[in-house]
Amino acid sequence: MRFGINRRDFLRWSALAAAAPVFEVKLPRGIDFTLQNSPTPQKYLIETMPGGVALFDYNGDGLLDIFLVNGGRLRSPMPTPENFDRRDPRYWNRLYRQNRDGSFTDVTEAAGLANAGNGNYGMGVAVGDYDNDGRPDLYVTSYGKNILYHNNGDGTFTDVTEKAGVAGGGWSVSAGFFDYDNDGRLDLFVTRYMEWDTKHSKICGGDWHTYCPPAEFPATTNILYHNRGDGTFEDVSVRAGIAAKKGRALGVAFADYDEDGYPDIFVSNDGIEQYLYHNNGNGTFTESALESGAALTADGKPLSGMGVVFQDYDNDGRPDVLVTVLPRELYGLYHNDGDGLFSYRTLESGLGVLTSGSSGWGVGLEDFDNDGWKDLFVAQSHVLDNVQQIDASLRYKEVPLLAMNHHGHFERVESGVTTALAARGAAFGDINNDGRMDVIVTSLGAPPVVLLNRENSGNHWLSIKLQGKRSNRDGYGARVRVNGQTRFATSAGSYLCANDKRVHFGLGAAEKAEVEILWPSGTKQVLADVRANQFLEVREPEHS
Amino acid sequence: MTLFLWLTLQSISPEGAQHMQAGVEAHKQGRLDVAIAEFRKATESDPTAAQAFLDLGETYAEMHDYAAATAALKRALELNPDLDAAHLELGYALLSEGYAAEAIPHLERVHAIEALGIAQIETGQYRDAIANLNAALLKRPGNPDLVYYLGRASGLLSKNAIDTLLGAYPDSARAHQAMGENYFVLRQMPQAEKEYREALRLRPDIPGLHLELGLVYAGASQWNRAEQEFRAETKLQPGNAEAAYRLGTALLQEGNAQSAHKELERADELKPAMPETLYSLGKAAALDGDAAGAEKAWRKLVEIEKESSLAAQAHFGLAGLYRKQGKAGEAQHEMHEFQRLEGKITPLRDDSRPN
Repeated sequence: MRFGINRRDFLRWSALAAAAPVFEVKLPRGIDFTLQNSPTPQKYLIETMPGGVALFDYNGDGLLDIFLVNGGRLRSPMPTPENFDRRDPRYWNRLYRQNRDGSFTDVTEAAGLANAGNGNYGMGVAVGDYDNDGRPDLYVTSYGKNILYHNNGDGTFTDVTEKAGVAGGGWSVSAGFFDYDNDGRLDLFVTRYMEWDTKHSKICGGDWHTYCPPAEFPATTNILYHNRGDGTFEDVSVRAGIAAKKGRALGVAFADYDEDGYPDIFVSNDGIEQYLYHNNGNGTFTESALESGAALTADGKPLSGMGVVFQDYDNDGRPDVLVTVLPRELYGLYHNDGDGLFSYRTLESGLGVLTSGSSGWGVGLEDFDNDGWKDLFVAQSHVLDNVQQIDASLRYKEVPLLAMNHHGHFERVESGVTTALAARGAAFGDINNDGRMDVIVTSLGAPPVVLLNRENSGNHWLSIKLQGKRSNRDGYGARVRVNGQTRFATSAGSYLCANDKRVHFGLGAAEKAEVEILWPSGTKQVLADVRANQFLEVREPEHS
Repeated sequence: MTLFLWLTLQSISPEGAQHMQAGVEAHKQGRLDVAIAEFRKATESDPTAAQAFLDLGETYAEMHDYAAATAALKRALELNPDLDAAHLELGYALLSEGYAAEAIPHLERVHAIEALGIAQIETGQYRDAIANLNAALLKRPGNPDLVYYLGRASGLLSKNAIDTLLGAYPDSARAHQAMGENYFVLRQMPQAEKEYREALRLRPDIPGLHLELGLVYAGASQWNRAEQEFRAETKLQPGNAEAAYRLGTALLQEGNAQSAHKELERADELKPAMPETLYSLGKAAALDGDAAGAEKAWRKLVEIEKESSLAAQAHFGLAGLYRKQGKAGEAQHEMHEFQRLEGKITPLRDDSRPN
């Protein structure tokens, strides 16, 4: 027992040290995308913030396709009116269709997604079937105007932004679809970072010449769009109480944290309090992070919140919150204690030692080894491209963090990524349908990195695709319980990204599963003796 | 002054006395140019009148013309070496012109310890300077200029000692420790680590070295390595409260709440009522499930420090504690105190006070 290490710990750590990396890093054939952020001497803040990626099956063939958001071209200095050359193919967003052999084909142009608007510098993406036609639609956020692409079901998309009334404006970042009023139609939440434009940009850091911190610019409001059900949305930000607070939002995630049957919203803010919008169930929200204990660190300090995930990491059935931040802070883990209260658990969970020197963006809690505990993956890189000159102990490019969850305690393992990245977005899904969760990471000025899960524990798994009837077709907001684990169905979370909407569970050695689904409609559905290792499609009963 | 002036006027020529009187009058009225002209005429009409040169020098000094003042004051002392007022003025004038070494004998003669201390800094007599400035501070406690010069003298004395150490014993453990400290201040952590490591290799028993090296690791958030160094320091110096505190905070960062709690309790016993220790102790106790211990530590802290940022943090911690205990009123009060100290809200108006 010397040094507090017992024999069992030693053996476990030895086993981990000897274990093969979890992921195989590869760029699948056919993906030729480079994230064009176009860094300039002007240090325009937008150039260090993109870009999103979505994992979704746009054509319904059962294979995940990849949609990548591009930045745009920046000049030094930018002329007015701003033109980001988005008609130039180098700056297009790209849709890659997955083929049966695991390769991808660029279908951007054929799908009608080539034109992202010259005035829009791309940021993120949200995925949801807003019109319940069974086909996932795309919402692309930008500095400029956002675009809603309706999926026509024939391999093409149509820009319906104007009709839908969801262009937003200003600087939008992460967005997500969710059904806040449980009317069976997906609504849309859009985070906005700050009031900033290239004309009023600044350079900070004196001789170091760096990007400015967010406090240099005025805060702004987020947007909540209510889905009217006729293909149009109504901006209800003011009426719903969302616009009552300005912030510097970068990430958003949804879950019903107080089990009142209505999805709540967690917004990660940069450099100020985090926001937890409690859904009052009457179309309004009350921001209650401070009262709930999820606004600040244990020391009462604000976080430079960037990415966020809202899932249950310790299998107590309640969704917890994890916020990624800059170094010298620690990734904020807020444990849901019940009764609407959270406690800051970063230190106890082991994240203190794992995260203090790193900057986190995209983040996911996924069971990568199918042992029944959600592990942590974070896309990491500092926001300042010259940070190492300023502080030799920090790095601009970092390898991602992969930490396995041992009953609520996280321990770092080899991810398999050995080259440091200027990583931003991270989306999670089973890309090759092998029952193991994979990751795709975006990186500034570089191609995306696809991490195919090669973990070989032999643990069992279950992947559930929800199909709502009275609830929204995607089943977003459903609480799914499998063998004592809980997931909240959503494709939102992380940073700028949209995840595979299928709900994945690791089952460990269990070959059968008990599945309980609490649909947003309030219907509870129980499935017993479900066979492991399958992709299960579950339809919501017509009647409760 | 009147008697002194009358006696002076008796010893010089009538014409000189007339100019002296006119000079004194003009000086009283603040017409310094006129006073200088009159005092100059007095020295011309009686070139042996030491007082006339003294008055002329003083008036030049008042006008910050130290070169002219120096010349006049030197002449006054040639005529009367016992003129203490001239020594004092000349000492200040020379010091103002940067001739510290030349100023010192004059300042010593009249025991002008404030100016003497400053002059001694300039001539590298740091120990004497510190003694004189300390004595001067006893007479004028808290004088910012004196405090500044005392700090400067102490710093230079320290630097001098370190320079001597580095020059004479560059390979000694202490030299490496000193270099480590320099690098640490300059935030050049890799170099600081290297120097401390070398110092430890040469003399692993030097108290404080592990602590300093631990701080390098803590600054880089390398908590495991910081813990090892702090632990080594606590073994060397079990009575060192800072080492115990640092070890406790490192353990806390590593999420080892129980050990952190114990170590911080020990730090608190070794040196009670330290706000930093109390804050971390409260945090460790809370993480360790000892709500009463956390409350006790934070309560004690806010009694000691009412308005600091640490007090704000303690109020924030107490708010969380009370919220979990279902004490909504107390939680709200603590949160209010936190927000008040953070400057987010204005203090509550006390309606019970009469207007």
